[in-house]
Amino acid sequence: MSAVLRAPRYAGIGLVWAWRLTVGVLFPTSCKYEPSCSEYAIQAVRKHGLVKGSALAGWRLLRCNPWSHGGHDPVR
Amino acid sequence: MTHLLLATIPVFSQLESVMRHVLNFFHASLGLPWAWSIIATTVAVRMLLVPLTIKQIHSMQSLQLHAPEMKRIQQKYKHDKQKQNEELMKFYRENKINPAASCLPMLAQAPVFIALYYTLKSATFTGDLSFLHFVPSIAERPTSFWGGYVLLGIYVLSQLFSSYFMSTTAQPGQRVMLMILPLFIVGFIYRFPSGLTLYWVTTNLWTVGQGLITRRLVQKTPAPALEKRSSRAAPKEDDDGTAGNGASPEPTAPKPAPAANAQPRQVRRKKSTGGRRR
Repeated sequence: MSAVLRAPRYAGIGLVWAWRLTVGVLFPTSCKYEPSCSEYAIQAVRKHGLVKGSALAGWRLLRCNPWSHGGHDPVR
Repeated sequence: MTHLLLATIPVFSQLESVMRHVLNFFHASLGLPWAWSIIATTVAVRMLLVPLTIKQIHSMQSLQLHAPEMKRIQQKYKHDKQKQNEELMKFYRENKINPAASCLPMLAQAPVFIALYYTLKSATFTGDLSFLHFVPSIAERPTSFWGGYVLLGIYVLSQLFSSYFMSTTAQPGQRVMLMILPLFIVGFIYRFPSGLTLYWVTTNLWTVGQGLITRRLVQKTPAPALEKRSSRAAPKEDDDGTAGNGASPEPTAPKPAPAANAQPRQVRRKKSTGGRRR
């Protein structure tokens, strides 16, 4: 895939890193899933592109709530 | 850089206006000074999160129930952290255990923090901005006056105490991490307006209070429905989820068990919806 087509993915991954290094630093809580939500977001965007990857990451975030069980949940 | 990045997203100006309304309510309607309005807002947010906290306490208890089995898994996969995590997660799923920490409650707090940041940064945020005589202005950096250093000191202490209550770990590495974390965060928040430090101190103190009350209640009501309980070992709560390490609850420290039993609901899996990224 050309670099131009991959650009949105890099932007998305960059945003996740921006979160990790800014607001994320301030919240020393953890994720109940493996890989963690942010790692999942990066993998999802890398694999499925920005749009679908973001949607997958969003859904994962919603699942990462106190009522869910967590667990091994890789990007499919 | 943070400021530039965040300023480009219109959602944040919306957040700011909501925060203005909330602060205005406490300031104008209840007559609280601005600094105390921030404290009141923080307390309100934490009160809204109480149901989630109760759920987390229940989760911690169910983790304690299964601590011996989990320890066995950890021993078995001692040399392969990845595999260990996966096996533990599988164990949770099979036994319907609900690990205490999760990302959503954390995300719920993030917009409050961001909104407060923008409100305090705004040039139109004026009036009496002092707090208890030692902080002349909550809109300025804590490093611009001596009271700010006091506030940062209080912050470090409150963070240490709150980490102590939030985490059930006694793993040496984890403990060190908990001790270093506040200093690391100080290196970050001293650049923000002091009002944010105030927010942080308040939310930490709330956590400490909550922890104290929980422990008291736990001591008074020796966990009912706990026939299987064979160990007092408590699981740990991973403190590094933000760095993307995932959770790896490991039972270690002795700690009183919370009162009630947890019956977590199974969450149905779907392919995709929603749109937020962490």
